[in-house]
Amino acid sequence: MRNLLNFLIKYSTWFVFTFYVLISCILLVKSSDNHFSLYMSSANAIGGAIYRTSSEVTDYFGLLSVNQRLQESNAKLESEVLNLRQQLSQYKVLAQDSSESERMNRFGYIGASVINNSTRHPRNHFTIDRGSSDGVEPGMGVVDQSGVVGIVDVTGKKTSRVISLLNQNQHFSAKVKDTPYVGSLTWRGDDPSIAFLEEVPRHAKFHIGDTIVTSGFSTTFPEGIDIGTVMGKVKTTDDTFLILKIRLASNFKTLGTVRVIKDALKHELDSLNSIGTYE
Amino acid sequence: MNKSFISYILLFVILVLIQVLLMNHIVLFNSAVCLIFIYFLIKLPINLAPNLLLTLGFLLGLSVDILSDTPGLNALCCTILASLKKPVFYAYEQHDDQKRNVAPSIGTMGFLNFSKYIFSLSAIYCLLAFFVEYVNFTEVVQILIKAGGSTLFTFLVILAIDSLIYKN
Repeated sequence: MRNLLNFLIKYSTWFVFTFYVLISCILLVKSSDNHFSLYMSSANAIGGAIYRTSSEVTDYFGLLSVNQRLQESNAKLESEVLNLRQQLSQYKVLAQDSSESERMNRFGYIGASVINNSTRHPRNHFTIDRGSSDGVEPGMGVVDQSGVVGIVDVTGKKTSRVISLLNQNQHFSAKVKDTPYVGSLTWRGDDPSIAFLEEVPRHAKFHIGDTIVTSGFSTTFPEGIDIGTVMGKVKTTDDTFLILKIRLASNFKTLGTVRVIKDALKHELDSLNSIGTYE
Repeated sequence: MNKSFISYILLFVILVLIQVLLMNHIVLFNSAVCLIFIYFLIKLPINLAPNLLLTLGFLLGLSVDILSDTPGLNALCCTILASLKKPVFYAYEQHDDQKRNVAPSIGTMGFLNFSKYIFSLSAIYCLLAFFVEYVNFTEVVQILIKAGGSTLFTFLVILAIDSLIYKN
């Protein structure tokens, strides 16, 4: 017994070292465990408080460009509203069906500001200042004024962590606008303005400069939200699929205000899908 | 002892905050970042109990990890760096009882030796951190460029901070 104790004390440093290395490795590998990851992410109470306070100060420096961008998108939206209102008044006579108006209100938005952001890692995340008390849930899509930026990953009470589009482990379903050619959008690291659309059918027709939008196949994003534009084709040895190089619409280095997309039918669709898989 | 204990806690908190609020957002040439928080490990006295040193290293890495959403990455690298601190120190310094109690600095080690000491530790840390983060070994050149740039950046900032403190 005494020998054992002596042994343990003599080599205690090695045990402590091994213990810490093991914990770190477990954290590295199991970072997606949902229940635990709230405490290990910037969405926890302390991280939220720190980033909130700092963004209260630093937000002022970006106000000019934020204002400009908001004014631009405001102008665009205003003209769109006018057009739609005109169309709506034409259709109102025809559409008396109540289900139609329900479908129109399917998607809602929660405004949020980005309080911490990174673009230098291979798997990037950012933190927003809205959490479960504001109605944000894991799995919701996040967009800014230019296009898709990420998917909510962990929600704290007042803050949430979002998986950035610049994350090698996260794929987005996307397609060439106004065509049925769907692919999987992947970021390969390094340049925060370039991503790749993989698994596009070989026969797909596209032109350089075509817009890439969300496919609407999941409950995360509605169909037709901008992601980026086609820069060209990547040479591959694969005969069945194409890979397109995409210039992303959003500037990820200066994320300011974003919107979280709330799908009123999400739970209904998810439960339908899960019934399908269990049978 | 008590006074230096409090000042070390302050150094810990300030360095973690500077790292996550400022340095994480400064990326030079799309590759070099400054990992300034390892200055805390560099400044800990050489004769500190090994278990305490490892624990402090682990906690330092974990704090940075939690705040920058890289779970385990910096905790692992800081623990390894803490274990290598003493061997690296004695690679440039003689075994001298007088120097063991004080924090390594330009004043206690001399400019050249201290530079070598922090350059070695920065290089070890950056190589570790980038290889662990990128996992795959197909982009070795890319990783080496990032690690090299970050080593230089980290080394220069830490050297600058330490010489400022020394002048005072």
